[in-house]
Amino acid sequence: MKRGIIHGLLPLLLPYCALFCAGLALTLAQSLGLFLPLGSGEITLEHYQPLIQDQGIRQSLGLSLFVAFFSAAGSVLGGTILALALWRMPPPLRRVGVVSKVGLILPHVAVAFLVLLMLSRTGLVSSVLFQTGIISSPEEFPNILHTGSGLGMILAFLLKGVPFALLLIGTVLFGFDIRLVQTAHMLGAGPLRTFWSVTLPRLLPAMHSAFIILFLYAFGSFDIPFVLGESHPGMLSIRVFDIFFQRDLSQRPEAMAILTLMFVFAALFAMLYNRFAAYLDGWRRKL
Amino acid sequence: MRVIIFLSLFLALTAGCSEAPQEESVLQQDYASLENLARGSEVRWHMWGGSAQINQWVDTYVAAEMKRLYDISVVRVPMDAPVFVNKLLTEKAANKDTGTMDLLWINGENFKNAMQAGVLFGPFTDRLPNFAAWYDTQKSAHDFGYPVDGFEAPYGRAQFVFEYDTDRTPSPPATLAELADWIKAHPGRFTYPQPPDFTGSAFLRQIFYATTGGHEQYLSGFNPELYAKNAPQTFSWLIDLKPYLWQEGRTYPKDAAALDTLFARGEIDMGMSYHPAHAQMKILEKTYPETVRTFVLAEGAIFNTHFTAIPFNAPNKAGAMVLANFLMSPEAQLSKFKPENWGDMPALEVAKLDEAQRQTFDAVDLGAATLGADELSAAAVPEITSEYLELLERDWDKIILGH
Amino acid sequence: MRHAPTIIVLALMFLLPIVVLVLQAGAPGWRFPELWPELSLDGLHFLAARPRPFLTALANSLGYSLATVALTLAMTILPAKTLAFTSFRGKNLLEGLLLLPALVPAMTFSMGLHFIFIKIGLADTTPGVILVLAMISYPYMLRALTTGYTLMGREYAVCARNLGASKRRVFLEVELPQLLPAMAAGASVVFLVAFSEYFLVFLIGGGSVASFTGYLFPLITSSNRGLGALITLVFLAVPIVLFIALELGLYRYHRKRWMR
Repeated sequence: MKRGIIHGLLPLLLPYCALFCAGLALTLAQSLGLFLPLGSGEITLEHYQPLIQDQGIRQSLGLSLFVAFFSAAGSVLGGTILALALWRMPPPLRRVGVVSKVGLILPHVAVAFLVLLMLSRTGLVSSVLFQTGIISSPEEFPNILHTGSGLGMILAFLLKGVPFALLLIGTVLFGFDIRLVQTAHMLGAGPLRTFWSVTLPRLLPAMHSAFIILFLYAFGSFDIPFVLGESHPGMLSIRVFDIFFQRDLSQRPEAMAILTLMFVFAALFAMLYNRFAAYLDGWRRKL
Repeated sequence: MRVIIFLSLFLALTAGCSEAPQEESVLQQDYASLENLARGSEVRWHMWGGSAQINQWVDTYVAAEMKRLYDISVVRVPMDAPVFVNKLLTEKAANKDTGTMDLLWINGENFKNAMQAGVLFGPFTDRLPNFAAWYDTQKSAHDFGYPVDGFEAPYGRAQFVFEYDTDRTPSPPATLAELADWIKAHPGRFTYPQPPDFTGSAFLRQIFYATTGGHEQYLSGFNPELYAKNAPQTFSWLIDLKPYLWQEGRTYPKDAAALDTLFARGEIDMGMSYHPAHAQMKILEKTYPETVRTFVLAEGAIFNTHFTAIPFNAPNKAGAMVLANFLMSPEAQLSKFKPENWGDMPALEVAKLDEAQRQTFDAVDLGAATLGADELSAAAVPEITSEYLELLERDWDKIILGH
Repeated sequence: MRHAPTIIVLALMFLLPIVVLVLQAGAPGWRFPELWPELSLDGLHFLAARPRPFLTALANSLGYSLATVALTLAMTILPAKTLAFTSFRGKNLLEGLLLLPALVPAMTFSMGLHFIFIKIGLADTTPGVILVLAMISYPYMLRALTTGYTLMGREYAVCARNLGASKRRVFLEVELPQLLPAMAAGASVVFLVAFSEYFLVFLIGGGSVASFTGYLFPLITSSNRGLGALITLVFLAVPIVLFIALELGLYRYHRKRWMR
């Protein structure tokens, strides 16, 4: 039986080890000073030290976490609200929801482009406000794209994330047995209570999945920060790109060190998040 | 069973990597046989792809002429210079003897890094007939102060200019002091691309020259004490003006293209470019309004020559040499000079041409937005050794951005 | 109408961008504060004059994206069945580990993989790009197929085997048709991921593998917004056309086989 299982999993395990694990191993190795074109060939932790001391890296990490959290949370929230709104529509009207697939299909660079077109100081929204007399010059338009807090990036991630969350949550919601809700109503529960105790628990797994995926994606994303990112602080992934492609070859281990830490963070986050979600659920039940 | 399939696949793939380079034989042959050798082959030319106009010129004129004259297909690959130099360094470290790039558009510190790492092929320019015929070997002997030694072939000349819109700015500043006053009088309407972008870095060097008394003192090689003494003046000028810049100097456009967009859309009032005909090109493209003009500061406008070079592991060195030679020909230089194609100044010596050819060059109309050759050469100041550049960029990061 | 707010939100978030793109594509010189830009077909002329790089990039992207779909299918179909129908100690952990490549930032393993690829000659090649794209997208196909198999259950296959059908026949005529919806779902996601990917194709392909995203990227930050908008619209249209074709194909297939 065991041989059968391994045999069945082999088409996947082989490339998994040869490509994914090997790639990770080499990133780790290079961060430790091995396999480097200009290295001494001995294991060393010296490339990790500047990371801990460098204030710029800490700021980049902070920005990446901030942008990832708010874009993921916003997407899940927005996706849930939209899913609920669509659910309450009669099924024929519900088809309008398919429009949201545009957000899924557009590549990330295109979404960043759209944010630029619409929300830059001389963009479309600004033009509309100007024409309606609300503002009288581009300077009066709020500085959305360059606040230093990554707002532009968050908006771009939302445009991609809301349809994704909508898809995941909507699948659960639209397959929901309406009788459960009706039973709750019959037993006297108000709409809010019904939502909290009957609907929400069934949506939570999908919401958590969406959150993890969107959070980790935004954390390590390259396309959107490259177009919409700002000089200072930059997102962590752009820092790595910078060191890897624009600087001296001797600085490469530092980039690998950052990547190794990013991987460890992502893996831990994925594993621990489920425990945290279960804890939150227990807390919620007590209410 | 699957393991065997996998292994054989891997072996098959690695088997293709052991072609020995034909370096010596290519350099031994005379040019005519190189042309024969390269007939019917493909040359992959890696160059900066941020200008649709330049891309189009390469894809139409250059590709068509190379096909017609030599039966060589030119494939343009967009890739920034630091990226392909990095790629070559990695390939050299991994002992990849046959790469994928044949010709590179390169200059400045990228050339220096590539030379110091030994990833370029050459010397080859002495084998190209157009080089001896039309070029001044002295003038093309140094690239940002670093000796060329025949490892790169001249391609064009560029000079740094500022751009402004006569509609919004009727009289542009003429000196550094006037520029500073103008910036303070128009807060939020000026910025420059973030170094190490090529244009942003050039602006930094311009300010360096202008605030420290000119370029002559830097011409004799890198002097760390001189830098340490003079650089603070540059940075205090920049810091002084930082709050009056776009976004209060907290953030800068990522590259020259982003700066162009800000200027084109009216978010800032001045642009800059290391290419004198750039503004005219943008006007023709309808991205800039027709009222845009260019100016230079009295303290001088940096100029440089840009080149083409061949990687050590180029698969088609003969073809690359034929292309480099073609680009240096009077016909190609003339076509490149026309602003509807590119407007890049010729690298050849117009004086060496015969009367008729010289007239065709003189007749090129660079457009209203481009400064005349006399004005440009009057203001021209040369580039200095790139160690200064690297230190300026590094200190800019530290002092202005706080990294 | 109480559904109006939802419709308005949907229209603003997803229809408005398309309108904006169409307008910008037709008006490269669109500047503040014009609301109704002056139209010019320069962008279209530019493309029509030299379609070759544009078409090459598009064809290449389509090619390697479809190849990625095929590869992920081959990689995950048997494992999906194994995961759906067997249980063993550590299965949850294994499933979690197998999903990691889609979760962790692609940069973390691709930079290291790039070095390995250079050594074995896969860098700058299309097979190399296909391999790396398959690595980040297979989890979606795996999940879709596992769900598909779980929903299908083992009974049909057991029944057919009892009736004497060979393993091959069981797969082709009993399991495959029932898996088609799941395969289509997985294929759609894998295709989108591969088609929209920029960084990995740029890293592993090294400029030698033409990609549509590589064609679009420099245009986004340039001041030539008209062309950027035009290419973005093509980017939108291609998957839509393919998905419609897929839906029609599936519909016809099911009609032919009389499946409800």
